[in-house]
Amino acid sequence: MTRLRGIAAARGVAVAPPHVLGTATPGGAERRDLDAAVDVAVTQLDGLRTRLVAGGREDEAGIFEAQALLARDEELLAGARERIAAGGPTDEAIVAAGDAAAAVLEALDDPLLAARAADVRDVAARIARAVRGEAVAQLSRRSIVVAHDLAPSVTAELEPSLLAGIALEAGSGTSHAAILARALEIPAVLAIPGLLAAAAGAAELVVDGTTGEVIVDPDAADRAAAIGAGEAAAAGRARDRALRSRPLATADGVRVMLAANIGRPEEAQRAVDAGAEGIGLLRTEFMFGDRATAPDAAAQAAAYASVLRTFGSRPVVVRLLDVGGDKPLPYVPATPEANPFLGVRAIRLAARHPELLEVQLRGILAAAETAGVAEPHVMAPMVADLADLRMVRRLLDEALASGASTVRPRLGIMVEVPSAVLIADQLAAEADFLSIGTNDLTQYVLAADRTNPELADRQDPAHPAVLRAIGMVVAGAARSGVPVAVCGEMAGDPLGALLLVGLGITELSMDPAAFGAVKRALGAVSMAEAQELARHALDQTDAAAVRTMGADLLTRA
Amino acid sequence: MAGLTVAISNPSGLHARPAATFVKAAAGFAADIRITNLSRDPGRTASAKSILGVLQLGVGQGDELRIEAEGADAERALEELGALVASGLGEQPGS
Repeated sequence: MTRLRGIAAARGVAVAPPHVLGTATPGGAERRDLDAAVDVAVTQLDGLRTRLVAGGREDEAGIFEAQALLARDEELLAGARERIAAGGPTDEAIVAAGDAAAAVLEALDDPLLAARAADVRDVAARIARAVRGEAVAQLSRRSIVVAHDLAPSVTAELEPSLLAGIALEAGSGTSHAAILARALEIPAVLAIPGLLAAAAGAAELVVDGTTGEVIVDPDAADRAAAIGAGEAAAAGRARDRALRSRPLATADGVRVMLAANIGRPEEAQRAVDAGAEGIGLLRTEFMFGDRATAPDAAAQAAAYASVLRTFGSRPVVVRLLDVGGDKPLPYVPATPEANPFLGVRAIRLAARHPELLEVQLRGILAAAETAGVAEPHVMAPMVADLADLRMVRRLLDEALASGASTVRPRLGIMVEVPSAVLIADQLAAEADFLSIGTNDLTQYVLAADRTNPELADRQDPAHPAVLRAIGMVVAGAARSGVPVAVCGEMAGDPLGALLLVGLGITELSMDPAAFGAVKRALGAVSMAEAQELARHALDQTDAAAVRTMGADLLTRA
Repeated sequence: MAGLTVAISNPSGLHARPAATFVKAAAGFAADIRITNLSRDPGRTASAKSILGVLQLGVGQGDELRIEAEGADAERALEELGALVASGLGEQPGS
């Protein structure tokens, strides 16, 4: 028995034999000619489409329908045949033909067509794999897929009903595999050092996507515990599903808006399916990481527009780039800082490199035009005072003027810096909405670095000092009649949600996985009880006392 | 060779699904069908039966599209493809 640890990427617990996916093809597989490979690719794509349609995922099915047309496309294949006639290997010929065709689409400078260029390359790569005779990953029984990493086209091939869990040596919480696992509600643990070596020849694995633990060949006790935990998690998901269509409200019917936090456009559909009334926080860092140059406005517009279209008339709050010296971008010169969390980050970075923010704002406005959204919501992180807000407002006005844009953006701020709490009334007079980021607010109010494990016990937003800060923001914003949302992790914590609603917060934005638990907790408590809880919580002396006090109310849920 | 000119009313132009709808309809005819995006590049013509060719024309909303057909069912192809474009290619116009 071996215990390993990685990043908990999708909740739940699975116990099943491992299916190790290698990168190499076992045994000298037979090569196919172009026509036979196209037939294989089309059959695979039709199978994928049928499976997605049967699962009610029409939008994703449309992608593979278009890809099946591309795989048979006479122009694409003519390009490959020319190269084969010139003596090139078949697999390289189709990839080169795909690259050439994709380049034409990209040169049209249209975000929608740029996305189709990726489809062309994906299809060409699929045909090339079929030429080389590479087998697709086929599960023959319910298994935990073990691999170094999973490419999107490989994960799409896996039969979901046989996919018990995912364990990867690479990957991260925002990688494609993590998103897929959450969408399919399959437990997943990623970034596990030593996984492939440990899992080689193993008979069974436990993957605990809630704690991030993986056990290779578990003993009887661990096995029984994991099966019990898996059943409990499945029962919880079933209860959450039953609550999907119910709005977030107190027992006496006071409605609170329920929104989702997402970090990638692919997560938008899952948020809708879970019952989100909007996106309270679209993190945009996914656009900026893992690349050598800054993304242009068209690429950003395409990504944001896909989320806006998914949500239609429901609000989507796009947060401007929030990075700093702790995770420098290769194309933004940064000076090492002693205290990156108190340094040149978020809009402070943008003030030094205004072109970053200018391009992003143009991308957001273009996305709104494309998606037909009249009032896109833009949110500035790390705003400390009015000068910060006015700087972003000026850049936004300039972007509007330069693009002759007809949309009317609403500009809000993240309240996470203590100074913004103290002058919330001033900020609310000029901002269109406020959203409290409780994670950063907690670390700043309590002066406790949230990346320092030694201080983990000081990161509870239920601390009376943080609760008082939230109360001040609500009171300050009320003078201008500006709504206050919360988009930190506190919103997705059942007791945290009760406290926030009791303090006067009218919108909670969280990971959709928390929707069910928060609906149950709030649905069991009247508005008067939530307010009384919040009032007493402000007078406690630490977070533990607040949690003890609220424990009774939570047992009703 | 017979032909007609139509204006594209779809909000997203001949991209993705509308393009797939158009190409699948065109593939149902024996006639050789060629299209040109008069608004972007009148010198570039593509087979209406090629999704890649159609996408590469970069047809956006409001663009004028020339459809030409030659062969046994050319007249019917033009009539039906023209009607399909006019109906919004399965998309709600203006949505």
